[in-house]
Amino acid sequence: MAPKSNDNLLKVENLEVSYQKLRVLFGVSIEVNPGEVVAIVGRNGMGKTTLFRAIGGFLKKDRGSVVFKGRPIGGLRAFEVAGLGVKYIPQDKQVFGDLKVRENLELGSYATKDYDWDAALNYFPKLKDLLDRKAGHLSGGERQMLLIARALLGKPELILMDEPTEGLAPHVINDLTHAFKEISKKMTLAIIEQNLPMVGEIADRVYCMKEGRIIHTSVDKQEIKDLAFEKCL
Amino acid sequence: MKGFGGPLLAVLILIIARIAFPAKMNFITEVSIFSIYVIGCNLLYGHLGMVSFGQPFYLSVGAYSTAIYLAYFGTSPMMSLLIGIGAGVVVGLILGPFFVRLRGDYFALVNLAICAIGLFIVEKLLLPITRGDDGLWYRSRMADTLFLDIRKPDNFFLFVMLALLVVLILFKYMDQSVLGASFRAVKGNERKMKFLGYSTFTLKLTGFTFASILSSFSGSLFAINFGFVNPNLGTPGRAADVLVATLIGGAGTVYGPIFGSFAFLGIRDIVSKYILRWELFVGILTILVLFKFQKGIWGNIEVLLYEKFGKKAKPS
Repeated sequence: MAPKSNDNLLKVENLEVSYQKLRVLFGVSIEVNPGEVVAIVGRNGMGKTTLFRAIGGFLKKDRGSVVFKGRPIGGLRAFEVAGLGVKYIPQDKQVFGDLKVRENLELGSYATKDYDWDAALNYFPKLKDLLDRKAGHLSGGERQMLLIARALLGKPELILMDEPTEGLAPHVINDLTHAFKEISKKMTLAIIEQNLPMVGEIADRVYCMKEGRIIHTSVDKQEIKDLAFEKCL
Repeated sequence: MKGFGGPLLAVLILIIARIAFPAKMNFITEVSIFSIYVIGCNLLYGHLGMVSFGQPFYLSVGAYSTAIYLAYFGTSPMMSLLIGIGAGVVVGLILGPFFVRLRGDYFALVNLAICAIGLFIVEKLLLPITRGDDGLWYRSRMADTLFLDIRKPDNFFLFVMLALLVVLILFKYMDQSVLGASFRAVKGNERKMKFLGYSTFTLKLTGFTFASILSSFSGSLFAINFGFVNPNLGTPGRAADVLVATLIGGAGTVYGPIFGSFAFLGIRDIVSKYILRWELFVGILTILVLFKFQKGIWGNIEVLLYEKFGKKAKPS
């Protein structure tokens, strides 16, 4: 893993978020330090995606703060947050299906002015053979690779990934796990995952969420590897 | 820039058609001008996925800007065209920031509303200037232009060919550029574009303004072609014309607008000689396209060419 620091890259404090009148997050606080892989785990409907959407600028917070590299980003719009170096890969695995893989990557390049595709594609060599294929014709695993490769353009400092292995075959999950380990040597990752063995393998810190609250935090590497946090779910 | 030959070939075919069928020159001129109008609608609908029921308003903006200049202020057709284009820019930049924020169905309807408002303005509010339903006539005021006297139909035809060529080249360049990919990506998944760091508001505003410019430009060309404008040009009832032509030709393609324009105006001009309600045939063709040939005329031809000739005939 990359050298870690105790200075927070991302700090979320007492975050409260609602969908209209329905409160979903209740005073959520998390920290992500540079070089870490932070996992958010919990059952469906516990508020994990809402947390990432609020960090990414897609949801307005009711209370609390979101600070990235010392700068409050709580009121910024999504594209502004992305411009600061926080990339969000949502759960839906939707690519721009009518565009080719190459064009999907070009969009990522143009937004970030980073045209060094090798750095991104080296994590997913299979994509090099698929550049002229329409993204809508890719398999689920290939789409996920494309989404991550595209997010890597511009060398973001923090990547938020929402259930990247959901619905994928075991061998694809193995490939992605290996890729995450390599990516985490250069970038900070925050991952929502239900695949606990994968979390145990790569995470440095685990937050367990239940009913919109953080109920447990694991920072002990052995505890994480042993999946001791599982009993909190 | 790859694909420069396509627009050239398209215009060459039109010129050959004009030579082969001299009696149809006016028809070909009108189809070509209409194609520019349809290209604007194609950009909005085919690339950005934004349906507008008010494109006649933007056409009317260009037409009346040109007409009012020629009727009252000057005599240069070229200047009047520039004024028409400028009017398209201004209208696009004034209305766009408000309109593009609306969701799809509201966007379609607010343009219909502005079209109705525009009709009222030219028909009633500005009656002393526009002459209302009587229309504005100015052909006799138009002066000779440098290099090419576009008052003459033959010369105007060549000018329109040049205009269409330039528009096609620019459109194709846009289509193949990151901007074109961005437009299609906004259509596919606007939220995902925000994740990437794009301001989709800016992208939609850019597309809306380009469409406004193209519609106004075509309106100006119509104004010079006919030497006369009346409120009928901008009536909301004609909103479907350009949408249907876009659909029939092939939404989202580069050359679809030309095919759509030919089909729409061809049916109107030919069928109307035999049957009063020529719109019936347009309706049938539209239903066929919607249910069976969703890529439109050119879109389906592209697929056939690609199957036959492979990568040499890569679809646009």
